[in-house]
Amino acid sequence: MSDLPPLSGSLPPTNEPLRIAVRRMRWFRAAFEAYIEAVGARIGCTYKIDEAKLGGIFVRWLRSVERQKPSNPKDRHDYFEFAAGLMLRELTADMPLSVVSAPTKADASTAATFWPEGYACTMFCLTVHSAAMQQEFKDKPEVSPAIDDLRHWWSFKENARMDASFSVGFLQTLLGHQPNWMMPDVFRARLSQELLGS
Amino acid sequence: MSNPSLLPDVMPLRDALRGWRHALRRGGETLLEVMPVGSLPRPAAELAGVVLREVGEIAKGVDDVASGLARFALKANDKQPEALQRLTAKQGAEDAFAQGIYAAVQSVLRRLNAPSAYVSETAARSAFLGLTQDQRLGSDAGIAAALSLALADARVLRGASAEDAAHVPGNSLENTSIFAVMLWLQSNRNEAEDEAALFSATDLAVALAAEADAAFRAHDAKRLEALYAEFASHV
Repeated sequence: MSDLPPLSGSLPPTNEPLRIAVRRMRWFRAAFEAYIEAVGARIGCTYKIDEAKLGGIFVRWLRSVERQKPSNPKDRHDYFEFAAGLMLRELTADMPLSVVSAPTKADASTAATFWPEGYACTMFCLTVHSAAMQQEFKDKPEVSPAIDDLRHWWSFKENARMDASFSVGFLQTLLGHQPNWMMPDVFRARLSQELLGS
Repeated sequence: MSNPSLLPDVMPLRDALRGWRHALRRGGETLLEVMPVGSLPRPAAELAGVVLREVGEIAKGVDDVASGLARFALKANDKQPEALQRLTAKQGAEDAFAQGIYAAVQSVLRRLNAPSAYVSETAARSAFLGLTQDQRLGSDAGIAAALSLALADARVLRGASAEDAAHVPGNSLENTSIFAVMLWLQSNRNEAEDEAALFSATDLAVALAAEADAAFRAHDAKRLEALYAEFASHV
């Protein structure tokens, strides 16, 4: 397990807890734009953002997060990770990014070159999740070595194209957890799996 | 000191000037394409040019005044926005409301790249004055829903070009713009975030355009209220 690439500083400041700020359209949009610019600068890639798509993504994400929110406070920690996966699901289901110029600073064998749009969205979700976890639980999540394995990214891109819910499981994998691949975007199914495993 | 109650009502005059400018922009541009002013005999062309410039300047000045007043009208001194319930309970708030609606709708139209619509302050004022006492005492979301339908009924926006209307899903430019402004009025924001909040409310309104427009068309205040209650804290 390792640390995320150091781009958390690109998130805009806020006086509110991140868990609140990220559920405000204006912070979410500012954060996404700033982060994509920072990722683009790091890998030498120019992205274009579809603002209209971003609005729809935010609304669908918000509603799915509210719909599945657990009532038991003990589940909050897990739900933060799950919510980040739902964000990635919505971003991959209606990709708001397009590449204007391909990466020039990333190795050809990296995820950043293989799928620049998917890479940037995944890193955004991981970064916001990491910042929120540190703020809420003093817990700095690490990422699995799978993040550097192109086979995982190839599988992610192919499967997410057919079923966007795969993205939720992919994010869990990157965070070192075993997803419930039958229903990766159903929080209750995930809880049941954890109970069976314990 | 002049007595404000004896001053003439300038709002219809502002509306008339804006309506004139709107007609010149929409019809005048078309006319000029067909018969350019430059093709007129010289004295007539000069006169036409002077008139067009003069009207444009007067109407621009009118906008500057309204925009300044809107800032005064819709923001409280403690840098927090005024809750709708406080605004509707206040005596004589209708002019401030109408001026604020005008400025905010204009900003929304710019965000939507749809500048052709005409916005009527007088219609906004009549919508505000038409609220019943029960409606004024409701929740912010309930007041916003009632005002939204009243603004749509009063046709606070009109005359958008087909091209501009198509910038919003379902050609629902008028209803989506009203929804955006009313959502923004309910949002938790400080003065520095005012513009960003209005743009975010506009983005949310576009994302929710199909649902909101259906509620407007069905005159379903409950459905609009539910949408406002769901999203006001997420602007």
